[in-house]
Amino acid sequence: MPPQQLPIFEPPSELDRLRETLGIDLPNIDGARAEANAFRQRLESALDGLTSEDTSIALFGSLARDEFTSGSDVDWTVLIDGIANPKHLDVAREMECIVESLGARAPGREKIFGKLAFSHEIIHQIGGEDDTNSNTTKRVLLLLESAPIGRRDAFNRVLDSILSRYIIEDARFLQESAQFHVPRFLLNDFARYWRTMAVDFAYKRRTRAREGFAIRNIKLRMSRKLIFVSGLLACFSGHILLAAPELSALISSANPPYEFVRHLRRVFAQTPLEIVASIINCHAHLRPVGAQLFTAYDAFLGVLRDDQKRAHLENLQPEAQNGDSMYQEIRNVSHEFRDAVLTLFFDEGTGLSQLTRMYGIF
Amino acid sequence: MLRDRNVTIVELSALRMAEWVPLIQALAHLDLSDFDYVSIHLPSAMNATEERVVVQSLQPIQDRKFPLILHPDAIHDFARWRAFGGLVCVENMDMRKLIGRTEPELAAIFRELPDASLCFDIGHAAQVDPTMTEAYFILKCYREKIAQIHVSEVNSRSKHDSLSYATIVSFRDVAHMIPAGVPIILETPVPPEKMQEQIDKATFALALGADSELVAYS
Repeated sequence: MPPQQLPIFEPPSELDRLRETLGIDLPNIDGARAEANAFRQRLESALDGLTSEDTSIALFGSLARDEFTSGSDVDWTVLIDGIANPKHLDVAREMECIVESLGARAPGREKIFGKLAFSHEIIHQIGGEDDTNSNTTKRVLLLLESAPIGRRDAFNRVLDSILSRYIIEDARFLQESAQFHVPRFLLNDFARYWRTMAVDFAYKRRTRAREGFAIRNIKLRMSRKLIFVSGLLACFSGHILLAAPELSALISSANPPYEFVRHLRRVFAQTPLEIVASIINCHAHLRPVGAQLFTAYDAFLGVLRDDQKRAHLENLQPEAQNGDSMYQEIRNVSHEFRDAVLTLFFDEGTGLSQLTRMYGIF
Repeated sequence: MLRDRNVTIVELSALRMAEWVPLIQALAHLDLSDFDYVSIHLPSAMNATEERVVVQSLQPIQDRKFPLILHPDAIHDFARWRAFGGLVCVENMDMRKLIGRTEPELAAIFRELPDASLCFDIGHAAQVDPTMTEAYFILKCYREKIAQIHVSEVNSRSKHDSLSYATIVSFRDVAHMIPAGVPIILETPVPPEKMQEQIDKATFALALGADSELVAYS
């Protein structure tokens, strides 16, 4: 077998494992994942040499999270980590054509996606005046909800560099004497991004004359919150995902920052749902919470996968929401999800309660 | 040039297939007695027929036990290379290549060639991942397999270049993981009058002793 065909081992799905353990059906989560895989394969086939060793295509949003539905946008960016070339714009234009030819919806109105993104700002501008909303969004979502298609070289380099910034510059948390091994720099940026999303919801409510208010509200309560949840869990993963001997070996290794960067790369290679599933799989007593959380999320995706329900929410006006049974139903689902998330983060058995108090408030 | 600098390590390269036969023929009468370590860099690209030819021409010199530096993407038939055991020295690749660049990709190669050694190209590893995380994991997993080190700057066009400040700083992050006494081959293309400067820079970059004799030019 020539070297190009040698397999690189991929870990099994934590979500599949959890579903078997819980003995529940998650038809919408499964369906959305299948649709995402199918559409990504179509995109890969259509790329035809568009990417290179210094140019990757990064997908974001539901397509990257394995939550794709027929009504989903296709959010993407041409991620460049190399010599600037005027022809890169042609790559972006070609990608636009490919997405359109596949019958998909173009990226959203805020214009953060659907264009070029250069690694320099993403890696170097963390915090400070030059770290714009757009720059923070690209950087955080590269970690929390992105998937490369085509050549992954630039994507891998950029993610390693981003994580190195957060981890190596904050490496005191990896000292043996630290009470908790939580990357506060990274966690703070995730928290900042979550609050930004919430504030931007209010911004869009004002600037879009309440258009699409209901569906954006539900997405904030569910998928946007899930992104933050998975980011927090990743930051806490040293304590809740690694067994104590594993964490101890990491801390006492030849280079704990490199080890922790690699650990986080493995975590972030998973979708947000997979990250949550992996935590619940590690702690049997969390299974009831897992069932509540995933059942609620499955119901949410069920609404998005239903064209009529989705259209209803997209057109629902704020003054009508109190009397709208569909909106109230999905709002109740979001409360189930919220309650499950709160139970998870204040669980004593995993130590999450203590971590949440130490890092989740200030 | 190397003898004048008391360098006792050399890698003889036939990077292009056209250079292979002249190299093999030259080996018959080259005086290599002054060198403590000699390795052979095989052609970086071979089709299946050329691979057969190269393997056949290696058999007569197998008993000279030169490490054979091999690019993984040049391999068509692993079985042909298994017979050479630890003499085969797989080199980790730069970002132009699709395999053999990272620790997981090298793992797939070493599953096919379990006795092979590693030519750790620190410049390639730095180009693939400038944070040196990948270099760390390659060294962590395959330290015991390292037969020699390639040192150079690998620029954004994937060309070898002389060592820059940023690269030297990066190399020093993992230098402590490189086994002591491993032959170091410089691939920094400089004129003869700049060779000593590059040797000195490499010595510093890899945190070697000032009197190290383990640095040579390819």
